[in-house]
Order: sequence, then structure tokens, then C-alpha cells
Amino acid sequence: MSGYILEVLQSILAIILAPGLVGLVRWFKARLQNRRGAPPWQPYFELVKLFGKEMVVSTNASWIFHAAPYLVFASAISVTLLIPLIAVPLPFDSIGDLILVVYLLLVGTFFLSLAGLDPGTAFGGMGASREMTVAAIAEPTIAVAIFGLAIGAGSTNLGRIVAATLVNPGVTISPGHLLAFAALFIVTLAETGRLPVDNPSTHLELTMIHEAMILEYSGRYLALMEWASWLKLLIFFTLLSNLFVPWGLALVLTPAALAIAVMTLVLKLVFFAAVIAVMETRIAKLRLFRVPELLGVSFVLALLAVTSSFLLK
Amino acid sequence: MNDYVFSQLSTLGSSIVLIFGILLLWRRSVSAYISSFRWQSIVLTCVLALIAYLGHDPELYLVAGFMFILKALVLPHYLNQMRIRLGVTREIDPYVNNASSLILAGALVLLAYVITRPLMQISSLPTRNGIPLAMGLIFVGLFVILSRKKAVTQIVGFLVLENGVVLLAALATYGIPLIVEIGVFLDVLMGFLVMQVLVYRIQDTFESIDVNQLNQLKH
Amino acid sequence: MTFFILLLPPVIASILALLVYPYRAFVGWVNAALGLVSLAAALSFAYQAVASGTLTASTIQNAPTFGVVIDSLGLVDVLRADSLSALLMVCITGVGAMTLFLSPGLWHDQHYTQAQLRQYQIFFNLFLASMLLAVSANNVGLMWVAVEATTIFSAFIIPLKLSKTSIEASWKYILICSVGIALAFTGTVLSYFDFVTLSGRAENALNWTVLLQTAPQLHPEVIRIAFIFLLIGYGTKAGIAPMHTWLPDAHSESPAPLSAAMSGVLLAVALYAILRWKIVVDAALGSSYTNNLLLGLGTLSIIIASFSMVLSKNYKRLLAYSSIEHTGLTCIGLALGPLGIFAALLHMLNHSIAKSMLFLLTGRILHHYNTTEISKISGLLKAMPLTAGLFATGILAIIGLPPFGIFISEFLLLKAGFSNGYAWLMGFILALLAVAFVVLLRVLNKMLYGNPPADISAEEPDRTQGALLFLSVTGLVVLGITLPAPLATLLNQCVVIIAH
Repeated sequence: MSGYILEVLQSILAIILAPGLVGLVRWFKARLQNRRGAPPWQPYFELVKLFGKEMVVSTNASWIFHAAPYLVFASAISVTLLIPLIAVPLPFDSIGDLILVVYLLLVGTFFLSLAGLDPGTAFGGMGASREMTVAAIAEPTIAVAIFGLAIGAGSTNLGRIVAATLVNPGVTISPGHLLAFAALFIVTLAETGRLPVDNPSTHLELTMIHEAMILEYSGRYLALMEWASWLKLLIFFTLLSNLFVPWGLALVLTPAALAIAVMTLVLKLVFFAAVIAVMETRIAKLRLFRVPELLGVSFVLALLAVTSSFLLK
Repeated sequence: MNDYVFSQLSTLGSSIVLIFGILLLWRRSVSAYISSFRWQSIVLTCVLALIAYLGHDPELYLVAGFMFILKALVLPHYLNQMRIRLGVTREIDPYVNNASSLILAGALVLLAYVITRPLMQISSLPTRNGIPLAMGLIFVGLFVILSRKKAVTQIVGFLVLENGVVLLAALATYGIPLIVEIGVFLDVLMGFLVMQVLVYRIQDTFESIDVNQLNQLKH
Repeated sequence: MTFFILLLPPVIASILALLVYPYRAFVGWVNAALGLVSLAAALSFAYQAVASGTLTASTIQNAPTFGVVIDSLGLVDVLRADSLSALLMVCITGVGAMTLFLSPGLWHDQHYTQAQLRQYQIFFNLFLASMLLAVSANNVGLMWVAVEATTIFSAFIIPLKLSKTSIEASWKYILICSVGIALAFTGTVLSYFDFVTLSGRAENALNWTVLLQTAPQLHPEVIRIAFIFLLIGYGTKAGIAPMHTWLPDAHSESPAPLSAAMSGVLLAVALYAILRWKIVVDAALGSSYTNNLLLGLGTLSIIIASFSMVLSKNYKRLLAYSSIEHTGLTCIGLALGPLGIFAALLHMLNHSIAKSMLFLLTGRILHHYNTTEISKISGLLKAMPLTAGLFATGILAIIGLPPFGIFISEFLLLKAGFSNGYAWLMGFILALLAVAFVVLLRVLNKMLYGNPPADISAEEPDRTQGALLFLSVTGLVVLGITLPAPLATLLNQCVVIIAH
């Protein structure tokens, strides 16, 4: 029973931390670019503002337009229930594993694209098609990369993967793990819409993918969409950190262990936020036709990870 | 435990060497190819030194030294000279485009795994897990030569192929007898020099080093 | 000791050419004389081999081997010659001496500059030396190094006359052959790996004799993979399809004596390398595996060569495709048991003599007519009667007409094929040989008869030079009419070595 309460708390924690994470990334970027930047808790204020605003909906929009924000947000929340955020093993492990996580993320992407297409605007359609190009290679790569880890652990259950790494620490430097990490890192950049795949702060036709799809949204729908994308960022950072460097996760459900788990989680997230901020300041956005090449590299790395783990058992 | 660490480190090193080889299929600029080759050779030197240290085979130190001098210093220097003198910058429009090349490279590595299964099964050395990666590098080098049009890229592909063979020899047998190894290095150096001379001649007569232009000889 | 007499003259010749700057004609003559010295050494090896009488399976390892131990470097038995090596040595030095006597720069040849001639002498002799080293090496790693060296040295002189086509040919040659050789090296490494997992590392592990001894215990799967790499690798140098694409270009663009040496003996040396490995692999796996591979690739070579010959418009390329065809025939012969191997080795010998002669003649034709296109050449009989006569003899020899040697070797080969149950395959090959027959005769017809083009003089230069080629014709006729007993003994010894 306490496990289920923990699950819900974990989800709420993720929802609360997500805007702060994105705010932190923006703040780091600003500081690196010699600006003062908005404080890290600015996204919270943005959300409050958006929830209070009136919505303008296109007359061409159908029920998909109205349903999509809820569906996308729901898919993100459901993923937070399945990933090893602060404790392992989780009671929901019996329901969901790697495959379900990938599918849930894909459901979110799917409805996001549909929402971009729905109002019939040029930008939305363009964003949707670009998103599908990226997702077509990125989504299988997530599966294959984590599958590389799963082979070593003997199960696709994320909790058990983490447990296997904790039991056998030497496997962290094994080629399979490192290659999977590299692959997953590139996919994180693609799925969460960061440079060099997509620029999250632009609204230029030439460069936007995610922003194009949510361009028509306003008010609370926009709030939900933005929150969902920030939640995805947190999910991917969590996967990157807790699947590969799982120390700090609570193995027993005592308050002390949980406190440590939350603190290490926050530390890991801050670390990744800094890494992303530095990367975004240093590299430029790739031209769109070169994005599949980058994702192709990540796919090959994931494939190498799987073969390394598989044939080196 | 020592064997386990040895195995993991050598496999890690081999994976990095292979990845530098796969980078040749992704990047487009010739200077990126040359620096990938240089870094690949440096990592390969480290792997050779590692095997020499943990495998208790001092001859490999010499081989690593030769490899470093020849392939990390001398050859990239000449390659860069070639690049500057020929004025070639990018490999645009190869026979197989970059995204497909990368996926094919993955398939080639899988093929290498399949082919080298019997080798891994009969070997008992801790470094045997890297054998498929070395074989994969050989295939990737071959693929670079077949699918790229600029002569300089083909030369780099050939050198990467040689790196793969040296890696295979080191991982599978802790290196072949020293005399043969030296002969191999000399051959590679001479082969490279001949190729360099030829590429300059190609540039002088054909005004470009696109091997597509070398199509005068038919039937 | 004899090894040094064999190997040093070409090296000395090359150093001499390097030191004499600018080039003087005496360098060419001295080098030709040194070539004769190597020939004498090779003949002495052959004599020693023949004198030891018939071989049996049990005596292969011990006799006749003229091993050399270089203890200071920790190398044991680095150089070794048995009957097979002796046969190849005679081929190489024989064709080598012939081409050295007919090299550019001798006999008032005015077609090349002094710098080109010097370059030619330096690298051609190094090329000969590395081929000789390849067949004398007991260590398969050293054999590999020598074969790669032949690629490098010959690549220097293929573009002796700089032109778009010669540079293209040279580039394709060095790239494709270097890649092939790298794959052959992979095969060498794999078999060394197999040996090492069995018996641990040893300095002489790459010695062919040692490999042959441990062959029955080598792991079949590994040796299978290794042989495929070796066949593809050395097969690239031998001109076996589908790795043959460099051959027509390189052989047609290089100066005539180099083409003669490459077509005549370099292909044979590459086949020798494959043969050495075939012996080891057969001891490990039984001969059916390698035989099937050789049959398949050989047939493919003949098919591609025959049809390419039909399309060919350049007489040098035509001869190059003919080389590919004969390489294919030799491969098929090697796969057909003892009689087939005998026929294949005899064929290799005959082909070396005939093809080298033909290429040297094409050199004379090219210098006189200044074109390599068949359509532009006519009236050879009127313009250059000596060359025309020799050329006609050569073509008739190469298409397998009696009384020349190739008829005998092809006949024996077909006989071996029929007796091994490959009747359909032999019939198919006969048909392809007939295609080559027709094409070459048609070309000969076109080139010999009619009137020479208006601007070609009827004065044949350097007739004495051409007369040297009568030696080749004599050799072919002798081999066609009879098989001298020493040669038969030598070939039988080789067969025992290969197919015991």
C-alpha cells in the first residue's frame, strides 16, 4: 500500500520539479551568455499566467484539438509512474516496463502531431511532419538503447535493470552501457526538442519543430502542453541518470532513504541541466536534412550497445 | 577480477576505435576524416599499450610506439598537406548517402559479429570480446572505400582498414611476430606514399580528385 | 647460399640504377646480365629439386628444402625452396631476364626520357626482387610483405608515361590491390590466431612448414573463414573475378615490359600464394571446400573475361582479359585433383612464356603505330614482318592451337575435368574458350593483313631486339611437342606437394 502512495507522490514530485528544471536550464544558459536571465522559478509564474488566460480556438479545430493537451499531459504523467524516479522496485513494475514506457511516449508524440495538423495551419502541418521524421528514428532508438541494458539485466523491467546495475557495479563502464548512454543522450536531445535538433526558444519557421505544433494553443491548453514537454525533459534526464548511475535510489521505503533519493535526484537533474545548457550555448542547430544522420548515428550506437551486451553475456 | 577489468577495458577501447571509424560515414568534411583517423590511431595505441601491459607482452609496446609515430603523427601530417594542397573540403554526394551509410554500418557490425562467433568461441583470451569490433572496423573501412568518391577519403578508408587489421591481430593473438609487424608498417607507409604521389598526379591531370572522373578506361 | 645469388642481383641492379645519375645505357645492360645470374640460380634450385627424385607424402616436409636459418633475428627457416618454389623461380627469372633484355632504354630505344628510364630500372628490379622473395619465403607473413611490395613497386612505373589513362589505371591498381592485400593479411592473422589458440605463440608460427604440420588440428570453422579472406585477398592480385577490375587497366596502360612481367609472372606469384594456403587448408579441411571455391571463381573469371574480350577495342586490354581467362583456367585446374594440378602448373608455365612474349610484341607495335586501338592497326605483315610473324605465333599459341604448349596443358586440364565428373562444366568452358579463340583470331586477321595506314613507315626498327623473342617461341614449341623429363619430374613433385 505504501508503495502505491509512493508512486503517486513520485508523480507529483516530478510534476512539481519539471518547470523548475526547465527554468534552471534557461537560467544557466542566460548566465553562460552573459545575461542576467529570468530566475529559475519563472516557468511556474508562466504556468499560473497561462492558466488564467482566455483561450482562443480556431474554428477549424476538431475534438482532437481539445483532447490533445489532456492526452499528452496524461501520457507524460503515466510515464512518471513507471520510471525509477526515487525508489526501486516500484509496485507498478508488474504492469509496465520498457516497452510500455516507449509506447506511452509515442502516444504523446502521436497526439501532439495530430494536434499540430488539426487546425489546418501551415506551421502546424510543417511541425508535425518534422516531428514525425525525428520520432521515426528516435523512438526505436530509445527502445533499442534501453534494450541493450535489459539484456544484461535479463529483464525489460526498468526496476530490475536498475537493481542489476546496483548489484554489479563494474557493468557501468562496460561498452554496452556506455554506448547505450551515448545513444540515449542523443535521443534525449531529439525527443525533448533541444539543440541541435530543435530550438525551444524560437518561433522562426525555418527552425521550429515542437513550437510549430503547439503554435495554435493558448491559455490553459498551452499551459498543459508546455508542462507536458517539460515533464518529458525530466523523464529523460531521470532515465539517463537513474538507469546508468543508479546510486542514491532508495531501496527501502524509509524516510531517510527517500530523502537521500530526492536529494540525489535533484543533484543529478541539476548536473544534466548544466550539461544541456553548456551544449546549447556551444553548438548550433543542425540543418533539418542532417538530423536523420545524427539520429542514424544514435541508432547505430544503440545497435552496437545491444550487440555488445548480447554477445558478451 | 583482473581478467574482467582487462576484458572490459579492451572492449571499451575497441568500441571507441570502431566508433571513430563509423564517424567517417557521418561527417562530411575531409579534415574531420583526418582527425577521426588521427584520434582513432591514438586510441588504438592506447589499446595496444593496455594489452601489452595487462597481457604481459612487451613486444606490443614497440608496435604501439610505431603505430603512434606512423599513424598518429606522420600520416595525418601528410594527409593534411594533401588536403591543403588539393583544396578539397567536403565529400558531397557519396554513392551511398550518409544516413543509409550509418544504418549499413550497423548491419556490417552485426555481420562481423556473426562471422566471428566461431573465433570467440575457441579463444580463451580476455580480449576476445573485442574481435567482432575489429572485424566490424575492417568491414566499415572497406565500405568507406567503396562508397566514397574523393580519392583522399578512399585513402583514409584504406588506413582505417589497416587499423582494423592491426586491432584484430592485437586482440586475437596479442600481436603477430614483430618482424612481420614491422614489415606491415613499412608496407603501409610506402603504400601511402605511392597513393599520395598518385593523388597529386590525378589532381594535376584531371583537375579534380573525384574518382568518378576516372572513367576514361572502358572496354 | 644460392638464395643470395637468386635474390641479390635484382637488388644490386636497382641500387646501381639509383646511383647512376643521369641514366646511362650501360645500366640497362648490366641489369640484364644480372637478370641472367638470377636465372642461373633459379635453374640450380630446379636442378637440385629434380635430382632428388620422386617425392612421397612422407618426405615432403624434409626434402627438398634448402632452408636458411637466420638465428640472429630469432627467425628460423625464413627462406625455403621446394619444387613448387623452384618452378615459380624459373618462371620469374626467365620472364624477368627476357623483359630486362627488352626493357626501354636498351637497343636505341628513344621513347622514354632519361629520368623515366632510371625510374623504370630502379623499380622494375625491386619488383622482380620482391616477387622472388615472395616465392622463397617460408614465413607466410614475409610472403605477404613481399606480395604487397610488388604492388607498391609496380605502381610506381605503371604511369611511366603520364597521361589521364595511365594515372587512372595506376590509382585503381594500387587501391584495389592494397585493399585485397589487406584482406589477405586478415586471413593470415586469422590462421595465426587459430594456430596460437592451439599451441601458444611461437616465433616460427607463421612458417608454412609449421602450419602444414599442425594443419590437421586447426579448427575447421576458423580456417574456413580465413581461407575466404585469403582467396579474396590474393585473388585480387591474381586477377580472379570479381576482383579483377584493375587488371585490364593496369596491364594495358603500363609500359610493355612491365605488362609482360605482370601478366606473365605476377599473376602466377599470386596464384602461388593461394596455392600455399590451399595446401594448408586442405590438410585441415579436406580438399572439397577449396576446390569448390576455386571452381566457382575460376568459372566466373572465364565467363567475364570471354565476354569482355568480345567487347574490347584495345589490343592490350584484349590480352589482359585473356590473362584473366587463363588465370581462371588455372584455378579450375587446381581444383581438379592431381592430373588437374599437373595441367594447371604446366599451363601457368606456358602462359607465362606466351603472354610475356605477346606483351613485349605489343610494345613494339605500339611504338611503331602509336595507337592501342585495334581498328587503327592493319597491315602488320607489311609494316613489321618480324613482329607480325612473332605476334601471330603468340596469338596462335595463346588460343590453344598445337604445336604450342598451351594446347597440351588445356587438353590435360579438360581431360582432368572430364575424369572428375565435371563434363558439363568442361563443355561450358570449351564453349567460352571457343569465344576467345574466335575473338583473338578475328583481331589477328584485322591487324595482320591489309595495308598499313599511310603514315606508318614500313621500316621495322630494332630487329635484333625482336629476334630475342624467338627464344620464347622455341620454348613454347618444345613444350608443345614434348614434355622434357626434368620438367615432368619437377611438376610431379609439385603435384605431390599440393595434393598428397
